[in-house]
Order: sequence, then structure tokens, then C-alpha cells
Amino acid sequence: MGHKHLKFLGVVAAAMVFSLACGGSSGGGGGTPAKTYKIGLVTDIGGLNDKSFNHLAYVGLQKAITDFKIKGDVVESKSGDDYVPNLTNFASKGYDLVIGVGFLMQTAVGTVSGQFPNVHFAIIDGAGTDANGNDLKHANVESLFFKEQDAGAMVGVIAGWLEKNGQAKKNKGVISAVGGVSIPPVNHYIAGYKWAAAMEDPGIKVLVGYSNDFTDPAKCKGVAQSQISQNSDILFQVAGGCGLGVLQAAGQASLYSIGVDADQKDADPSVIASALKKVDVATYTAIKLVVNGQFTGGAQTFSIANGGAGYSPDNLNVPSALQTELDKVEGEIKNGTLTPPADIPA
Amino acid sequence: MPIGSVILAFIIGALIVAVTGANPFDAYSGLLCGGFGIACSQGENPALQLSNTVVFMIPLLTTGVAVALPFRAGLFNIGAEGQLLAGSVACTAIGIKFAGLPAPVLIPMVLIGGMLAGALWAGVAGVLKATVGAHEVVTTIMLNYVAQWLVRYLIIGGPLQLAPGTSRSSPIGVNAQLPTLLPADNSLIIFGLPASVFRVHWGLAIALAAVGAFAFLLWRTSLGYEIRAVGQSQKAARYAGVSVRRTIIVTMLIAGAFSGLAGAIQISGVDHSLTDKYFSDTTGFDAIAVALLGLGSAVGIILAAVLFGALHSGGAIMQSDSGISSNLVLVLQALILFSIAANFVGQIARLIPGIRRPQALPPELPPAAPLMTEAAAPPPEPA
Amino acid sequence: MTALGDILHLLFTANLWQAALAAAVLLLLPALGGVISERSGVVNIAMEGMMLTGAFFAVVANLAWHNVWLATGVAMLSGALMASIHAIVSIRFRADQIVSGIAINIFAAGLTVFLVNRIYGVQDIGHVGQSELLPNINVPGLDQIPFFGKVLFQQNVIVYVALILLVLMHLLLFRTRLGLRIRSVGEHPQAADTAGINVYAIRYGAVITSGLLSGLAGAFLAIGVSNTFVPNMTDGRGYIALAAMIFGKWTPFGAFVACLIFGLGQAIYDNNSIIHVSPYLLSMLPYLLTLVVLAGLVGRSTPPAADGLPYVAGSE
Repeated sequence: MGHKHLKFLGVVAAAMVFSLACGGSSGGGGGTPAKTYKIGLVTDIGGLNDKSFNHLAYVGLQKAITDFKIKGDVVESKSGDDYVPNLTNFASKGYDLVIGVGFLMQTAVGTVSGQFPNVHFAIIDGAGTDANGNDLKHANVESLFFKEQDAGAMVGVIAGWLEKNGQAKKNKGVISAVGGVSIPPVNHYIAGYKWAAAMEDPGIKVLVGYSNDFTDPAKCKGVAQSQISQNSDILFQVAGGCGLGVLQAAGQASLYSIGVDADQKDADPSVIASALKKVDVATYTAIKLVVNGQFTGGAQTFSIANGGAGYSPDNLNVPSALQTELDKVEGEIKNGTLTPPADIPA
Repeated sequence: MPIGSVILAFIIGALIVAVTGANPFDAYSGLLCGGFGIACSQGENPALQLSNTVVFMIPLLTTGVAVALPFRAGLFNIGAEGQLLAGSVACTAIGIKFAGLPAPVLIPMVLIGGMLAGALWAGVAGVLKATVGAHEVVTTIMLNYVAQWLVRYLIIGGPLQLAPGTSRSSPIGVNAQLPTLLPADNSLIIFGLPASVFRVHWGLAIALAAVGAFAFLLWRTSLGYEIRAVGQSQKAARYAGVSVRRTIIVTMLIAGAFSGLAGAIQISGVDHSLTDKYFSDTTGFDAIAVALLGLGSAVGIILAAVLFGALHSGGAIMQSDSGISSNLVLVLQALILFSIAANFVGQIARLIPGIRRPQALPPELPPAAPLMTEAAAPPPEPA
Repeated sequence: MTALGDILHLLFTANLWQAALAAAVLLLLPALGGVISERSGVVNIAMEGMMLTGAFFAVVANLAWHNVWLATGVAMLSGALMASIHAIVSIRFRADQIVSGIAINIFAAGLTVFLVNRIYGVQDIGHVGQSELLPNINVPGLDQIPFFGKVLFQQNVIVYVALILLVLMHLLLFRTRLGLRIRSVGEHPQAADTAGINVYAIRYGAVITSGLLSGLAGAFLAIGVSNTFVPNMTDGRGYIALAAMIFGKWTPFGAFVACLIFGLGQAIYDNNSIIHVSPYLLSMLPYLLTLVVLAGLVGRSTPPAADGLPYVAGSE
């Protein structure tokens, strides 16, 4: 339990730092208005215990409930058929903000936001789209995008640097990534990772495999073990609950691994860093904007530049030369000198 | 349908809820509201809840029949899911390719296309069973996986993919889409909400007609007689001059067509494109429960589909209103199945003097026995 | 063609077969459970649910008591508990055994996630430490044999256990008195009853054994291969095991061959970082292969004669 509390506090602290950094202190928690805002959160089929972004969205909602004294309700979608009815349920009851979690819900948010123009919607990892995947740009929809490639690039720097300087385990110039399914949010991470590793160590070989699964750790472990037999030294998981098998495979082979979305240092001692996608911060921010009456539709991108993406060094004593390099790359991504690609480089 | 058994299941469910520290009354009022629009306490719109229940129910009707019909012939079709996927793929492909055709031509085309694809998928299992005796449980499970991977291939990197980086197909043509009962209009207000939120579509009529056709086929045609005869005893059926092999193949073809129809209706009436949600679709598996719960009869299947549709729809309201995980719905479904299968109520009633003993299992439901035994190995046809 | 070449090349690596055997064992244990249950005349399609229950309770127990063997025991017991529901409902209450099996699977899927929610809230359920997992054991000496050493003697402890259970199950069913009784109960319960065999006791025992085996598979999955519980982590393995059992004509070694085909398919797929063919088509391969084998080589599967028939003492 102790660990979990620490982890939770860490996340909350990150959210607080972020909300301060954004300078959105107008009103805040002090002079709460008389109205009790109602916020509805709809998870995708991963559910609340997905150990990934649905869970993080819930963490953000919980913090908002504490800070803003709002009413926050959650529905887990059991199948893809549930997205529209679950979003409609909250919208039809006059909720102030309905949040859809995940890329899979884009069309559903597009449809329902058109039916309820007076209800605010937010969607994590996507926009409200029509059947052709075009953003409908409804004024009542806020799209919360993440530059996963920023986070991927930071852990890519760590992997590339360790490999180049012979400070990984095998040091044969091979690292790898295991994705869940080949969809944009997954591939963005891998794109940044591969790009940055090659920047640090031009001769590096980056293996990329997919488990085609987000829930079964055994599947991801198998892909990871195949990569390990190809001399992979550092393994990056981008597959939610399935990817826990990657971290474990690396640990059992006494290699290094890298976690995703949340800080996963507790999942396995082999985790040297995690690529962070602060879905909790995004959720919290979206709620805060509604509570403060500052909601605006359109896209909001969370990246390194605004603290919505990043990395955490975990079970590794980061050498000072690597830290210097990380700070340099982070600074250059922030000021736009470096732009990690969204598509996996060849 | 054995009402007592359903009630018993809900009582046991309430105990589980209470033991885990939540309030059963909150849970059930949420389910009742979400399922039937009754007893809504937090401003839910009753008409919307009913509409959602019906939308969930529609594919369960046709897939329920697709499991129930082979049951009558002593065949266990675990493959309704794969057949449904085949139907949705065909519907999508035709609906995109021939988008220019007028609706009166195109809608029958996509639906029949879906039925043919489903029939083809199930037909593989039927032919393998009738010729080399391969057990349909194995073949239909394998065909489910093949269909699931085929769908992934088609819309991620394959020929049906909308655009690179997406996991969906293009939408089918407007003329391939089944209309909804109410106009799909955001500005028209009906029952206090925009008309477009009521998603009940004409697939309802088609699905009900399909259940009717199932009943007619089973009880009013010679094929239906043959199917039932094969299910009762293959040996007797053979003496009566029924071709067991032919009956097995035809039964699977028809069952597949029903499942394929479900997939086509779902694409044509609700989703309008093949999307990543089909990766995790479980309609074909829920259908097994619906068919068993409905005791293989048309009316039973309709009632069971209503119940499952209502539970599905109700779970979400229960969770949003009272915070009880919607996974409780699965627990309840299982309890209902246990309760009906074991007929606990009947067995308990038998112990109490003065109460007339209710009939045991209704005679219409063939027991599991022939599913795994006789039908498993059709002996060679006499010349 | 290069993809085909890659796959052929893989087939000659020990790594591939090592992974295939481990993946096969996850299917073999529930398949053996199915074999004994159905040999005694009780249709069992509930392995998926019993395995999932085992996976869940293995993690809960291991996190609570930090003892992997105790946790494995708890997992097996929880699987057996699920199995005894199936047994009571289908033997005592003579319910339809397919309905009951489907109900177990739905029940387990709902109950495990419901309990995760109620016990842990949305906190992470937690991870089992590396030292508290079911250990990998290299058999001294034998593990140095070229190729076979790696495949057969550098495995998780449960792999060895499963292979021993495979042999024991075969011997039990076909070489012992008890096995003869189990099979006679599954073929001719009336005759067996007349001969003084307790049909009910044999069937209860067989079904509960299937729960113990499936629960063990769940423990292997959750605290051997993985180190935590993820909702629905069994991912349909119980159904594949069912297919393997029928494919293997209700015999332990037959089922094992089928499990190896699926394990091999999974292991080949795991190499998709280096094989360049659509991963989806690659995933389809073992299932297509099974269909082809069924169509051409294996053909007819005949289950035990009284499989699925409830037994009423003194009937007929």
C-alpha cells in the first residue's frame, strides 16, 4: 500500500505543479461557486483497471472532485457498442462536461456532441469525428491530444545513450519496442523512441514488434523474449496491461526496460525509466476549465513544452553526462529546435 | 420462460452485492432504469433507456437463432461470432463498392451479401462435420479466430482501411444504411431529446421477422422436421429416410446466414463502417446464453434477448448512478443461466408439501448429450 | 518468400521451441482438465472461467501472504471451487452441462473484475516481486544438451509439472483401475453402477480435478509468466484448450499435440519484429492450420458415449 500511496502522491504533485505552471489560478479552489458541476467520465473497453490511460483519467477526475467539490461519475464501457449510449447518458442528464477516454471513441464523441450542442465534451487522444475520420470541429468539443513522440524521444535518448556508451547490459547495439496494436497513439511513442535513439547512437538497431493485444501479459512477454534473443538490450513497452510482460521479460533476462503512460518503476526492478503521458493532468485541466468557465473547444496538445508529456527516471542512477544530454534534448524539444517525428522513421 | 429462476438469480445477485459492501437496491433500481426506463431517480430519460435496450437486443435476436437452430440438430455452434464478423465484412465491402446504387437495391444487397458470407463461414464447419466428421465445436472456434484476424488485417493496413494510421473502413454509402424509426435529426425534439439519440432502426423488424422465420422453418417445414429428427436421434432419422449429412450442412448454412445477417444489420443500421470495435465484439458469445436461456424457442429467444439487452443497457446506468461496477451484470447473467439450467426453484418447490411440482426442464430443449455424442460422428450414409 | 524463409529458419532455433513449449503448457493444463472431466461423462467448457479465477486468486493470495506455493494452492482451490459449482449444478441438479459451463465462464469474467473493483478500487492491484514468482529451473546437466537442453530443461517449474501430469493422466486413464472406472462411467454409467462403481463420486472427482488443473494454469499465467492480474488475461485460452481436447480425441497426448501446434503458432508470431509479413495474417496461421489438419488428417472425433448425459441412479 505504501508504494501505491507514494505513486498516487507523485501523480497528484505532478498535476499540481502543472496547474501552477499553467498559471490558471483564477478562482481555483478558494471561492467555489454555489453550483455543483457534474462531470461524467466514460472509459473505453480497457476499463478502470487497465493500468493505463483509463486509470489515469480517473485519477485526474478524483483530484478534481477533491479540489473543486464537483460531482464526478464514471461508466466503464463493456464493448464498443457502449460508447454512444454511455456518452448520451451523461449528456441527456445535463452534465456540464462529458469526457470520453481514448482514440476508439472519436466517432461516438463526434455524433453525440452534435446532438447536445449545449453540453461540453472532452476526448482524450482524439477528436470528435465523422465516419470518414474528419474532425467535425464542434465548438463544444475539446480534443486532448498528446505528443507521445516527445515522451518516446526522452526515453529513446536514455536507451541510445546507454547503448552507445556501453552502459547497458549487453551493449550489442540493439534495442527494441513492443507495441500493442499498430495505431497512432502507440506508433507516436515508438517513432520518438527510435528517432532519438538513432540520434544518440547512429549505428543502433531498433526492433519493433506488436503483440496485437492490450490485456494479456504473456503475449507481450513472448514478443519481448524474441527480441531479447535478437540481442535487444533495452525494451520499451507500449501496450498497456499486456506490456507488463515486456518489463518482466527484461527483468528475468537481467536487462533494462522502459515503462509507458504512468511511472511503472514498481512493476519490475528492470524499469530504468518511464515515458509519461499525463492523461490525469489533461483530464484535470479540462475539468478545471469548465469549472472556471473558461472552456473553449478545439484541440489542446499536451507535450513536453507544457508539461503534459515527459519521462521519469526510475530504477537507475542516471550518470551525470546522460542527465546533461537529457536536459539538452528536453530543452531543444521545448524551444522547437528538435521535433520528434510522429511516424516511425525507416 | 421460468420467471422464478430469474427472480432467484436476482436474489443471489443481491446477496453478492451486499456482501461486497454495496447497496443492492441502488444496484437494481439502476438496472431497472437503464434497462426499461422504470424507476429512474437521477433524471434519466425513460424513452432513451428503452431505445438503447432495443438497439442492444437486435443483434442478439438473429445470433440467438443462429445458435438455437443448430442446437435442434444436435450441433453446437460456438461460431456465431465469426459468422457475424464475416457478415459485417461483406456488408461493408458491398456497401462501399456499390455506394451509387439506389437504396431499394442496395439495402437488400448488403443484407443478402452479409447472409451469404455468414453462411459460407458456417458452411465450412458444416461440410467438415458432414464429410470427415470434424467436430463443429473445434472448427467454429477456429473460424472465429480466423475471422477476428481477418477483420484486423482488412482495416489495419489491408484493403478496407480508410487511411494510413486509422483502424476503420470508409463508411458505407448512404443508400446502404438502414433508416432509423425516428428521423435522425438533431434539431427535432422528441420525448425531450433530439430525435437522433433514439437509434432504433428498421433492423428491428428484420430481426423479428428472422425469428419468425426460424419458428416457421422449425415447426412448419419438412426441413424443420428433418432438423429436429436429426437432433433427436441420427439413427432414427436415417431410418425415416432423412439424409443426416445434408441436414447438417443445410442447418449450418442457415445458421450462418442468420449470424451474417446480424453483422450486416449492425453495420447497415448502427455503425455504418467496419471499425476497431469489432475486434472486441462478443455478441456471438452472448448469443449462446440467449439461445440457451430462451430454451431454443422463438418466443423464448425474444424474451431472453430483451433481458440481456436490458441488462447490458442497465449496467451503465447502475454504474453511473450508484458507482457499482457494471461487471455485476455479467455475474447476474451467469446466475440466471445457472438458476434456469439447474431449475433450483423447481427442486426447492418439490421439497415443500402442498405446492404442485412444476415441470422439470421443458421438453423443447434438447439436452447437451447429443451435442457431444451421437451427432459428433455421423456414421457413413447407407448407399 | 523471405517471410517463409525466416519462419523456416526460426524452426531450427531452440529459442522458438522453448517458447512454444511454455505457451503450449498454458493450454495443456486446462485441456487435461477437460479430458478427465469429459472422460467421466461431464461436458466441460468452463476451463476458461476456472483458469481466470485461478489467475485472480493466485495474485491476491501471493500479494497477501508472499508465498508462491501457497498462492498456487489457493489458485488451484479457487479453480476447484468453480468446478464444484459446475459439478453440483450438472451432476446433482442434472442441469444442461453446456449452459452451466457457459455460465461459469461468464461468472468468472464478471466476478474477477467486480472483485478487483471492490477490493482494490481503481488502485493498481499490485505486482508480485521477481523472487516470489513461480521459478524457472534449469535441470543441472541435462540443460547443457545441445538444442534439447534449452527446449526441455530450461523451463518454468510448472512446465515440468505439466509434462509429468500429462504422463500421469495418460497412465491414470489407460493403465489403472481407477482410470477404467472413470472411462466406464463416461461410456456406460448404468453398467458401471451395476458393477458397484459410485458414478456420482467419480464424476465429482473428475470435474473437480479439471478445476484444480485449470486453476494451476491460471497461477502459471498470472504469477509465473506474468506478475500481476489483468482483467480477462486468459484471453480465450480455455476455449483453445477445449478445441485441443477434441482435436486430440479426448486423449492426453492427442491434446498435447494440438496444444503444441497452437504454442508453436504463438511462438512464431512472437517473432514479428523480424518476420516481415502482416502480423494479422501470421496470427491466423495456427487456426487455419488446425482446420486443414482436421479436414485432412484427423477427421472424426468421437467423444465418450455418455458425455453430457446426466446420470440418474437406477434409471433405465
